Amino acid sequence: MKATGPLVSVVDDDESVRESLPDLLRELGFTPQAFSSAEEFLDSGNVGGTQCLILDVAMPGMTGPELQRELTLRGHPIPTIFITAHKDDFVRARLIDQGAVECLFKPFNDAALHEALTLALRKT
Amino acid sequence: MQPMRASCNSISTNSFEGITPMITQPATGNDGWTGYSQLASSGNKAANTATADLINILDALDVPIVVVRCDFVVAGFNKMAADMLGLSSSDLGRAPGTNAVLAGLSRLEEQCNQVIATGSEASANFRHENKWFVVRVAPYSSGGRQVTGTVLTFSNVTAFRASIDQAIYEREYAKGILNTVSHPLLVLSADQRILSGNRSFYAMFQVSRDETQGLTIYELGNGSFELSTLRIQLKEMVEGSGTFRPLEVDYASRGNAQKTLLIDARPLSLPGHSERRLLVTFQDITARKQAEAVERNRAQEKLRHTEAFLAEAQHLSRTGSFSWRAETDEITWSEQLYRIFEFDHDVPITLELIGTRIHPEDRPLLEDMIDRARVAGADLEYEYRLLMPDQSLKYLHLIAHGIQDKDGRLEYIGAVQDVTQRRLSEEALTKARSELAHVSRVASLAALTASIAHEVNQPLAGIITNASTCLRMLAADPPNIDGARETARRTIRDGNRASEVITRLRALFSKKAVTIEPVDLNEAAREVIAMSLGDLQRNGVVLRVELADELPRVGGDRVQLQQVIMNLLRNASDAMRNVDDRRRQMTLRTASDEDHHVRLTVKDTGVGFGSQETERLFDAFYTTKSDGMGIGLSVSRSIIENHNGRLWAKANDGAGAAFCFSIPEYSGEEAAARISGQARLSLTRSGRIAEELS
Repeated sequence: MKATGPLVSVVDDDESVRESLPDLLRELGFTPQAFSSAEEFLDSGNVGGTQCLILDVAMPGMTGPELQRELTLRGHPIPTIFITAHKDDFVRARLIDQGAVECLFKPFNDAALHEALTLALRKT
Repeated sequence: MQPMRASCNSISTNSFEGITPMITQPATGNDGWTGYSQLASSGNKAANTATADLINILDALDVPIVVVRCDFVVAGFNKMAADMLGLSSSDLGRAPGTNAVLAGLSRLEEQCNQVIATGSEASANFRHENKWFVVRVAPYSSGGRQVTGTVLTFSNVTAFRASIDQAIYEREYAKGILNTVSHPLLVLSADQRILSGNRSFYAMFQVSRDETQGLTIYELGNGSFELSTLRIQLKEMVEGSGTFRPLEVDYASRGNAQKTLLIDARPLSLPGHSERRLLVTFQDITARKQAEAVERNRAQEKLRHTEAFLAEAQHLSRTGSFSWRAETDEITWSEQLYRIFEFDHDVPITLELIGTRIHPEDRPLLEDMIDRARVAGADLEYEYRLLMPDQSLKYLHLIAHGIQDKDGRLEYIGAVQDVTQRRLSEEALTKARSELAHVSRVASLAALTASIAHEVNQPLAGIITNASTCLRMLAADPPNIDGARETARRTIRDGNRASEVITRLRALFSKKAVTIEPVDLNEAAREVIAMSLGDLQRNGVVLRVELADELPRVGGDRVQLQQVIMNLLRNASDAMRNVDDRRRQMTLRTASDEDHHVRLTVKDTGVGFGSQETERLFDAFYTTKSDGMGIGLSVSRSIIENHNGRLWAKANDGAGAAFCFSIPEYSGEEAAARISGQARLSLTRSGRIAEELS
């Protein structure tokens, strides 16, 4: 187990993502943390330490893009990779315009994720 | 007896000389001839006999005869004179005036003297009691030229006088009537000259009797009556042939007033007159004619107004009207109908001419309509198109009602409305609506797809992520077997989740709950036909409907069954869309089927299908149409199967195909049998996707 990699926080209301993605991130050498909602993440105290955010777009309560805006407002912008089960190129382009590193459509492969993470961490 | 006067003696003695009465007293017993008898008795036997003869003859006459001598005394009288005038022998030798009756002849003596003096006859009228006589005073001469007395004969003219009086009375009576009659009357001679007129006649024509004497009727009133119709008729009447048909003649009176006279005539046959006369009557009908004219004008004005009103209404509503005699093909069109068809008003309308304007694709509709009209006499309602010379289209809606006249001939009265604008806007609306429907269908399909994708992508994301992790764990050195096992387990779990999503989706799109009720398939079909008729007619489809009598009712969901019928009609209509070389004939038939089933068949003459395709027809998404979804028949079959029935197709012997379904009759047990199905359906509808979509 390598637990020394950069802290990557996963925020998704889908349980299967919260279960599977941290294992993959760990395999890729990151330190993962999973949250079921934006509010849970904001209250977790890990906001400052998170170097990359993997964020579901559509969630009950605060949505992914709203969380991203909130972090910018608080002065803690975090490089963000959006993930969504709605394949919509228009939404993807807009999210990238608004500062997202990448927007991956579920299901995505590990290579695409790794590439996006590399890109995100280079930004910091 | 008084002796004769001396001055006459010689004469009178002479005059009776030679008369020898054979007998002293005549057989009749009249003593009026006493003197003659006495004189005659001295004569010879022959003279005696002659005197007796004369006396007998005179006594036998029924005319009273009195002989008066020149000295104005009665010389003799016959028996009739004795009977009627009451003369007796005592009157002989006395003046006639001594007789009470003869005293009534006041101027007798004067007249007798005149006759004696002149030798010529005189006469006088004489009335005795109720009788009239004409007394003839004739000269009496005894052989020589000298008149020596008079002979009075009394002719009874009572009856004659009475008839004259009657005639005078009748004439005055008739004249009175004629002059009282307000209608002018005119009597014409055979050559139509005016003989006389009544007072009204002279008053009306403002002429006098003298002015018109000898004129012909044709010269009256400035020649107003110089008419060949009058001439011919009067002539025929004179010739005794034909009856007069009253004539109306316009006539300007002397006061220059325009009058209309009704002339009538009758032949006047007078007994004893061979010449025919004509009675002509004039009736002044000016007032009546004027009233008629006013009434006619009023009626015409009203008619004109009504016609204008109708024409305007037809123009505004773009509706023309027509009548059509089905037997003779006599067709009458209103002005507006000419305008709609753009035919000249003087063109005689025939079915052939109408056919030239009908859109070629709609001609079978026209033929069908004509066939139906001729045979059935049913009311007609059709929609068809006109193809105008400039290639523009007109859409017409025809309604006609057949009526039979008293001879049983069929006539259609109908209206044709130009519904082009409405149809175009309807088509635009339909197009917009179908585009909208398509858009919304695509939109909802997109939303549905997205929703399905989302639901499936979530577990897929888990599966792929887990599988990737698994591979990486196995590829590690040393391999992380426990981790790989865990991720593989999660992969299976996510795979099951994806499968559940698909199951829920299938449940969502399976059937809805059905309402089972007894359904009259004929009635259900009729409703669908009513809804589809416009579409069918627009596609040039001729529909024959053959609904079985006393068809048993089936058990089912009326709306779903109607959807199936509608779908079959649409399919059949679509299959014939490109058929131009034959009639686009569709037949909808219902019939009882074996095993307590009811069958409905929709047969077309469309493009049909190869036999190897018949089963594929019912696969979802299979279609022979370029713009079809291919869902219709598959849905129809699932509906019919849900009714425990069967839906199948077969190719016709000729062109086209037939689609049939057969479902069980209603028995009352279906409702219970189908409830379990509904319960199952409502369970599967509780899935998450259904909630999201609802």
